[in-house]
Amino acid sequence: MKTYKYDVVIVGGGPAGLAAAVSAKKQQAKVAILERNGELGGILEQCIHAGFGLHVFKEELTGPEYAERFIDQVEDLDIDVFLNTMVLDITKDRHVSAICGEGVLHFEAGAVVLAMGCRERTRGAIRIPGDRGAGVFTAGIAQRYINLENMKPGTKAVILGSGDIGLIMARRLTLEGIEVEGVYEIMPYPNGLYRNIINCLDDFGIPLHLSTTITRINGKDRVHSVEVAKVDEHRQPIPGTEREIACDTVLLSVGLIPENELSRKAGVALDPVTKGPVVDENLETEVPGIFACGNVLHVHDVVDYVTTEAEEAGEKAALYAKNALKKSDASVAVHAEGPVRYTVPEFVDPEDGADKKIKFRVGAPIEKGVTVIKAGEKEVYREKKAHRFLPSNMEIHTLKCSAIAGVRGDLTVSVEE
Amino acid sequence: MNNELKKLYDVIVIGGGITGTGVIHELAKYDIDVALLERKNDIAMMATKGNGGVVHPGYDPHPGTLKAKLNPRGARMYPQLAKDLDFHIRHTGTMVFAYSEQDLKKVDELCDNARVNGVEQVERITGDQVRNREPYVSDKVLGALLAHTTTMVDPFEVAIAFAENAKLNGTDIFLESEVQDISKDEDGNFTITTNHDTYRTRYIVDAAGIYADDVAAMAGIHEYKIQGRHGNLCVVDNHLPTPIRTVMFPCPSPDTKGIALIPMPHGNYIIGSTATMRTNKEDTSNDAEGIQDLLDGAHKLIPNFDDGSVIRTFAGQRPVALNNDNDFWICESETVPHFIHAAGIQSPGVASSPGIAEYVRDLLADAGLDLKPRPGYNKYRKAPVDFSECSDEEKDQIIAQDPRYGQIVCRCETVTEGEIVAAIHQPLGAHTVEGVKRRTRAGMGRCQSGFCQFKVMKILARELGIPEEAVKFEEDHSPVLLGHVK
Repeated sequence: MKTYKYDVVIVGGGPAGLAAAVSAKKQQAKVAILERNGELGGILEQCIHAGFGLHVFKEELTGPEYAERFIDQVEDLDIDVFLNTMVLDITKDRHVSAICGEGVLHFEAGAVVLAMGCRERTRGAIRIPGDRGAGVFTAGIAQRYINLENMKPGTKAVILGSGDIGLIMARRLTLEGIEVEGVYEIMPYPNGLYRNIINCLDDFGIPLHLSTTITRINGKDRVHSVEVAKVDEHRQPIPGTEREIACDTVLLSVGLIPENELSRKAGVALDPVTKGPVVDENLETEVPGIFACGNVLHVHDVVDYVTTEAEEAGEKAALYAKNALKKSDASVAVHAEGPVRYTVPEFVDPEDGADKKIKFRVGAPIEKGVTVIKAGEKEVYREKKAHRFLPSNMEIHTLKCSAIAGVRGDLTVSVEE
Repeated sequence: MNNELKKLYDVIVIGGGITGTGVIHELAKYDIDVALLERKNDIAMMATKGNGGVVHPGYDPHPGTLKAKLNPRGARMYPQLAKDLDFHIRHTGTMVFAYSEQDLKKVDELCDNARVNGVEQVERITGDQVRNREPYVSDKVLGALLAHTTTMVDPFEVAIAFAENAKLNGTDIFLESEVQDISKDEDGNFTITTNHDTYRTRYIVDAAGIYADDVAAMAGIHEYKIQGRHGNLCVVDNHLPTPIRTVMFPCPSPDTKGIALIPMPHGNYIIGSTATMRTNKEDTSNDAEGIQDLLDGAHKLIPNFDDGSVIRTFAGQRPVALNNDNDFWICESETVPHFIHAAGIQSPGVASSPGIAEYVRDLLADAGLDLKPRPGYNKYRKAPVDFSECSDEEKDQIIAQDPRYGQIVCRCETVTEGEIVAAIHQPLGAHTVEGVKRRTRAGMGRCQSGFCQFKVMKILARELGIPEEAVKFEEDHSPVLLGHVK
């Protein structure tokens, strides 16, 4: 058993962990990244399509290229990286235990940054009935098989869910000669980014069937068909609309869930909507010294925003470890209201002189609306230009500190149509 | 090979479920030659794997039935078996909830049953006592039966343990061996023809589950009929916002114990199960209505049950001997001597299995089989390492011996590469993705193998020396991958 001491221990070496590590190191902290896989980069390594980096680097990179920019910095800055190292436990007092091929490792951390990312919702979670043969994959594992393992998951696929990974995979399968019969989405609107609908479906003539879902998967050994049906406004299948489609593969892109099993062990409180930790504007959880960023905190739409958020978490974690993080007791809660499903952060400090970044998503599309933030009855922020709000897009708004200095009462974030 | 030159077994058991493996585990104690024939590519692939795993103590069966005799007897054997055979067991107790005055009468009846059936530590408790023990239980529960001795097992793990121990003591186990014909020879012995081979035996134990009547028919026996009682089940994440520690049932109806919420040995839960008779014996598909019934059933027990905690849904069929008052059908054939039926093993088949095994042993002895103790018999079986249960010191030691135990493959259930490799090379090793899952729990957690399946595939291909596209998911024609991309 070996014991290490670090200012900042970062759990996860994906995009969030990498950016947090670089940023913490730039604050002169002693930093370690603990990564369960054999390489850094996380899920970016299998995202070989372009489209990453438009905000952070002002250029279009592939996933591995985007990751490489940070991996290079991690190497240049001499940040300690523990690969093939799985964290098994984190305690409230920031003791991290992990295992690797050398045995059990213990880390005493000044601050911990949670950057474990998310997992995909599965067939079991959405409870699709039928047979349980081979051929049902989450879009992510199909992507792994094709892009990194060079293996073919099937010959004819039906894709359920119009999340971005599902859309990207519709194109990827087509390019590999695997027929995509169609993409089916239970909601009346697509769940992925608009650009992916155009680039991945429309350009390849792949139909997108809205308000339609898979009601049954057939095939005891291997999938041989699925039954799809139209759904009503309560997402219930409409009798008589069933249709059977022959296929040997089903791909699911039906949502992502932050992976917070370790956070829970550390006693970190989770938000029932985001399924991620409750954090304040420093991205600090309710357990002092434990920070969270990226998809473990809330599912992001674009990796660039993961990076920006993680840089902030890394910096704040480094400051915390050096006892240099300003903290006042004047925290006020931030609530989501109306069409707004959640906000990150859930708490801000109106007196610390810093501007607040408020992130949120809406639950259903709004054709034209503006973001409004109130402190009690008082309006403290109103977006100037009305625009379209989509559940697939994460909204980020900057609330000037001057606007809320001296306010009493909680902040509420809503969208007015 | 000439038939006469073939080895003559004393007993061949047909069917490798919890019943058949229980029987070979019992017969392994005696100085006889025993073989097991299983049609699937692994053991416990039918009713045994589609099961909730409750070792019912035996308050349920009507006094005087075979069930009433064998269920308590089997259940009482489990704690010692778990020690000897090193399988997981969890002492949970059961509560059967009453929601009405009529239900309370039923609870009293069950308490009486328990007394007659010889089941100890069963009592009637009040609604408040129920909620004291389990705070999330519905306010509508007026009272309950509390059976203190109920335990929980993983039926597949038990069947594996039975079979491994039997194998260790000399039992031959033949997988992928589907019985196609049974004939009685002039010398009074049976010849069994499978899809691969022929076998000779003096006695047959028919433990072929839902196909037991079809197997019996091959020997010209038409004494009973089997139909499947189909049941939907759900697996629930080990992190439940309303955790429970006791198995919970509503009051039973004649055909079913009702929809229960069951805490499993490894910390997750099962909701099970619905009950509808089916004519298609192969149909283990599940259905939306059944899943909804399960969720409704869970809410009846725990009003704030979180539907979002369900991580998997599945179904199984329990073999029911028709026109038999829901009792087991275990006896020597009336028409063909030395052919023992161990059939109609519906619920509580898991709980009864060790009792059934002893009963079948006695039937064999009554039919003339000479049972002398096996010299050098070993009653123990050692389970493979369960890394998640080791202390830090043990982990260090294991990893120092084999660094593959330091590589976590399944993050949800903390399963290491070392454990998967061991499961593949066990005496009855895993050779499918699902086989690995049932032995190690890799892929059983909340991500349902989304992160680890490609790793398990690689390990299986490497250890079995086959290409990845030849790795099976479960059944014979169930490739996970269909070749390489360009």
